[in-house]
Amino acid sequence: MTDSAPVSDLDLFDDTVLVDPYPSYATLRDLGGVVRLPANDVYALTRYDVIRNALGDWESFSSAGAIGFNPMVNEALTGTSLSSDPPVHTQLRATLTANLSPRALRGLKAGIDAKADALVGELVDRGSFEAIDALARAFPLEVVADLIGFTGHVRDNMLRWGQAAMQVIGPMNRRTAESFPIAGELYGWCSGVTAEDLAPGSVGRGIFEAEARGDIPPDTAGHIIHQYLGAGVDTTIAAIGNVVALFAAHPGQLALVRENPSLVPAALNEVLRYWAPLHAWGRRTTRDVEIDGVVVPAGAQVAILFGAGNRDPRHYENPEAFLVERNPVDHLSFGYGPHGCAGQGLARLEAHAVIEALARRVRRLVVGPEVRVPSNVTRSIEELPVLEVVPV
Amino acid sequence: MKIVLDRPRCEGHGLCEEAAPELMHLDDDGELVLDREEIGDAEVPLASAAVRVCPVAALRLA
Repeated sequence: MTDSAPVSDLDLFDDTVLVDPYPSYATLRDLGGVVRLPANDVYALTRYDVIRNALGDWESFSSAGAIGFNPMVNEALTGTSLSSDPPVHTQLRATLTANLSPRALRGLKAGIDAKADALVGELVDRGSFEAIDALARAFPLEVVADLIGFTGHVRDNMLRWGQAAMQVIGPMNRRTAESFPIAGELYGWCSGVTAEDLAPGSVGRGIFEAEARGDIPPDTAGHIIHQYLGAGVDTTIAAIGNVVALFAAHPGQLALVRENPSLVPAALNEVLRYWAPLHAWGRRTTRDVEIDGVVVPAGAQVAILFGAGNRDPRHYENPEAFLVERNPVDHLSFGYGPHGCAGQGLARLEAHAVIEALARRVRRLVVGPEVRVPSNVTRSIEELPVLEVVPV
Repeated sequence: MKIVLDRPRCEGHGLCEEAAPELMHLDDDGELVLDREEIGDAEVPLASAAVRVCPVAALRLA
């Protein structure tokens, strides 16, 4: 027996929903594992198992021309690993991850740890600071800029380029329309970038050298750098901002990490589970797919709601609680399967370094109210004033 | 049962080693080595945990 999907009049990209989607996620999850949303012309996947299965099943849930929620962005992403299916995807992904996989990044850990410790140490000494600019943005921007070898005006543009690249994945609303010209600047720069524009010895230089050797296809180096910047900046900033805010709100959880530093990876997993950096991501069905007795027709646009799956009580006990010892290694915030976040190794290096430094140096953070502004795809904190640091 | 590795898909994230260090490890080059491929019933839960945490679905049980 199959039926049509339950329907909700929710608009996934409404300002109120974007700022705090969790009440809406709960409503949708109660309606079903898949819910049709006419306001966005999508089928939303809401429950943990449904999302994980869809992410693993690229043959039924295609990424080709489907990861964004407007035709312009899907057109622009054509030919990237993000927006393709195997077998084409397999080669593109290998090219992208050659310099980004954990084995490629192993040599960077000590340097990233030292940078995080120096920055956190300086902020603790200062005693009060705005955590998003001074830490959540400053740290990944420095790490990624040094890694790729960005210098000069590119470094100054990384934040707005990275934000715009995520924003345009949303539906064609005002935010998307305003961000397209900025995302275009990034695309334009990446189309013309040469090895000489990047610092000697950087990974970015290495990608051009690989292209010159014929290890990767001609004219792909710029595209790879585009993806590093487009995907690796805004998301990591969101995650690190969330680390600070959640540990400020839950000093007891920070104390657990301080007493037992082996909990650092578990703590990051719980931060990512509790507040997913990405709100919605697209797929398109290649056939009629049955989910929990409901049929999603072939050719339907699907919206994967990572954060809804991460709070599914069918999968996580007491999902509304922030508990680092839970260690939810199977959280959905990096996606899963062939399209699982290609930069998750670097993201872990960065976030682990920040959590370690905070746990080592900070007993408690006294913070003012966090400011959030609606954003189509990345859910992050815009401002978080740290009023007082109680050091260890 | 048997642990099957999709070698091209493996990116060396190493979460499987954390879940089941008795069955697999990353070598000095960061390549995954299956120390045991054929496993008995008693090891199925451990192997399943390793399969489950692979972020890129490079492992399966057959």
